[in-house]
Amino acid sequence: MKILVPVKRVVDPYAKVKPLPDGSGLDVAGVKFDVNPFDEIAVEEAVRMKEADPSVHVTVVSVGTSESEEQLRKALAMGADEAVLVETGDPMDSGVVAAELEAVVRQVQPDLVLMGKQATDDDNNQAGQMLAARLGWPQATFACKIARAGDHIEVTRETDAGEETLRLALPCVVTTDLRLNEPRYIALPGIIKARSKPLAKQARATDARPKSRVTTMAAPPPRAAGRKVASVDELIGALRERGSL
Amino acid sequence: MATLPFTSRETGCSFFDRTPETCFVPEDFAGDEQLMVQQAEQFSRKEVLPLAERLDKQEDGLMPDLIRKAGVLGFCGVDTSDAYGGLGLGKNLAARILEYLSLNGSFSVTYGVTSGISQLGLSLFGTEAQKAQYLPHLASGEWIGAYALSEPNSGSDALSMSCRADERDGKWVLNGTKMWISNAKWAETFLVMAKIGGSEVSAFLVERGMPGVSVAREEHKMGLKGSSTARLVLEDAEVPLENLLHEPGKGHQVAFNALNIGRFKLAAMSLGPARDAIWESTQYAKDRKQFGQPISDFGLVRQKFADMAALYFAVESALYRVGANIDEAFAEWGGTVEGNRRAAEEFAVECSALKVLATEAEARIVDEALQVYGGYGFTEEFPIARTYRDARVSRIYEGTNEINRVFLADRLWRRAQEGRAQLGGPGDSFVSELAHKAFAKFSKDQVVVGGLSDLVLLTYAEQSARLRAQRLGGLAQMAYERFVNWANVQAAFAYQTVTGDPVTLPTPNPGHIDPLATALLTHRSPL
Ligand SMILES: Cc1cc2nc3c(=O)[nH]c(=O)nc-3n(C[C@H](O)[C@H](O)[C@H](O)COP(=O)(O)OP(=O)(O)OC[C@H]3O[C@@H](n4cnc5c(N)ncnc54)[C@H](O)[C@@H]3O)c2cc1C
Repeated sequence: MKILVPVKRVVDPYAKVKPLPDGSGLDVAGVKFDVNPFDEIAVEEAVRMKEADPSVHVTVVSVGTSESEEQLRKALAMGADEAVLVETGDPMDSGVVAAELEAVVRQVQPDLVLMGKQATDDDNNQAGQMLAARLGWPQATFACKIARAGDHIEVTRETDAGEETLRLALPCVVTTDLRLNEPRYIALPGIIKARSKPLAKQARATDARPKSRVTTMAAPPPRAAGRKVASVDELIGALRERGSL
Repeated sequence: MATLPFTSRETGCSFFDRTPETCFVPEDFAGDEQLMVQQAEQFSRKEVLPLAERLDKQEDGLMPDLIRKAGVLGFCGVDTSDAYGGLGLGKNLAARILEYLSLNGSFSVTYGVTSGISQLGLSLFGTEAQKAQYLPHLASGEWIGAYALSEPNSGSDALSMSCRADERDGKWVLNGTKMWISNAKWAETFLVMAKIGGSEVSAFLVERGMPGVSVAREEHKMGLKGSSTARLVLEDAEVPLENLLHEPGKGHQVAFNALNIGRFKLAAMSLGPARDAIWESTQYAKDRKQFGQPISDFGLVRQKFADMAALYFAVESALYRVGANIDEAFAEWGGTVEGNRRAAEEFAVECSALKVLATEAEARIVDEALQVYGGYGFTEEFPIARTYRDARVSRIYEGTNEINRVFLADRLWRRAQEGRAQLGGPGDSFVSELAHKAFAKFSKDQVVVGGLSDLVLLTYAEQSARLRAQRLGGLAQMAYERFVNWANVQAAFAYQTVTGDPVTLPTPNPGHIDPLATALLTHRSPL
């Protein structure tokens, strides 16, 4: 079985970033980058499937600037077999990424695309669904459990109504939720080994253009100071005054 | 290994009269090297720190399990040769990993000894057979190792040891007691220094299971309670002849060269907890409100953060500069026993300077960090009390700071007599000018030597911080300038101690308290 795992380079989710003064983007000078945590979970899951069945082959792919090589190397260090970098500095939205991933899917021909449900930088939660639609493949989103069942896979997903288990024919697209697994520590020998695993760089295969554009970025306004009240009556009065009651 | 993007061409003590154009800075660690460091930090935070209290009670098996886990990830043999189960990476990277594995002191010393001085003597001086027999077990974390030099009556004066070895019936027979041996409770192997025939200091590879080897009860310590420290008792201990390491009578080379690198590594072990104490105390200061505002708003609290940052920055700069130099020395000379000895010895003065700088920076930082917590710092409510206790021993072991001070300036002086260092130059900073001038008053008086040593180590720190600030600018430049204000005063004091002459301090740099404190309060690693 072949698994393709897309990974995105994102600003370290724990870093505090500020918008640029002109609102054109984020000030990322000196900020660390990492693999999107949802994607890391997808890589972990793929590697676990490989450990359970050595015939599984895991390819990771990133669409982005040459710096994304760092994130691909991390995925290789975790245990992926090879990597593809679609190298581009073009502006992208989820639609462009899905179009590029579709091309990579046709090239790699995986049985399963396992990817993060969203990226922590712009939280779109779209690329996986768009990719499945483009391919005409079945999809299961927000997976919290994945099990192989013959030539199908069973995906348990978290919904508002509770857990739901889907049985999907391969090939298909599955997007991962945080609860699926906890990514491993990467053993140092794995990091050394990753240095010599294959990483192919290629240009974009489509001329898809973004359909959405970021017009401006601004920090949320600082929260105004609260107010102390002496009694419940006063509180109710104050809420009425504000029109909250 | 892509640690060094250039050759610094520094040699031991060359810093004293020649500032290199640039030097290695921690920012030079390559992307996947930083990934290794990140794994180390996560291991500390997720596996070690949550167990701190249980480790301090020495719960059965807990610490050895952690070491084995660390071993599985490759941490126990980072700079051990890959021919013997290690990863064969540089000592500088190994030190950076060690810094981040040192957030808990007890784990730090256990790990530091088994991955460091317990293997180093073997790596530098062992025969193929000795290395093949022992290193793979230690580098994998399957065995824990120890290093046994000190004795009840010989600490600083280590060579006055009374432990002896005699050849009898085709074996070495060892007798004596080794004191304060870290890891004694868990170790499978001990690198033991003993005198053949009562006179020739030699090194032996002793296994726990050999006849006549035993370990006494645990010492009751003020800190590092989760680490094992106990006496190793040798009563007619029988050690195979082939377990003599290096040549008879040359055990001091094994012991002291392991210590040179050990001092460099101890600097990393001291900065790790200091770094975390800074971060933790800033977080506490943001939450703690007094007089209606977070205490992080108060000038005297902010000043502490700026001071801690400046000190950490300078010593960190010095640490990884030395490490890169040591790696270069091993790349150039290492491989043979003689070459290894030369490489481990070349930067001995810098290693001593680092040991003093880092352990005293650690002491000041954890002390000020604890102060930020007020009464809560004095209780066990927060980890800072433990960090404070655990830090105390750093200035005592691997050569007390006094012993390192006696050694430092004297060694530089002797190198200069041999034509391998220059004294009396003009210097290129206030600190280095004073240092060069003060050497005119060199004498064997310990107070003079100690003062000169202070000038030498301040010179090294100032220069290293300057080179790094030149590369990074911004906050790094501010941290450097703040450090210089402090270093100048220290240097003036040391100069007056040595010479008895008055000194006029230069105009101070701006203090940069606000930008430094603000950066620390917002980012985990602001620089
Ligand atoms: C927790 C812990 C772990 C340790 N682990 C190990 C280990 O794994 N292996 C090992 O071999 N040892 C270990 N040691 C021992 C340690 O290295 C010694 O304690 C240290 O070298 C100092 O020796 P001492 O305690 O005998 O002090 P002393 O030598 O008695 O010194 C007492 C004081 O006198 C000063 N002094 C001594 N000589 C001079 C001098 N010539 N000039 C000026 N001042 C001087 C010292 O600086 C110190 O302040 C450990 C110690 C501790 C506390």
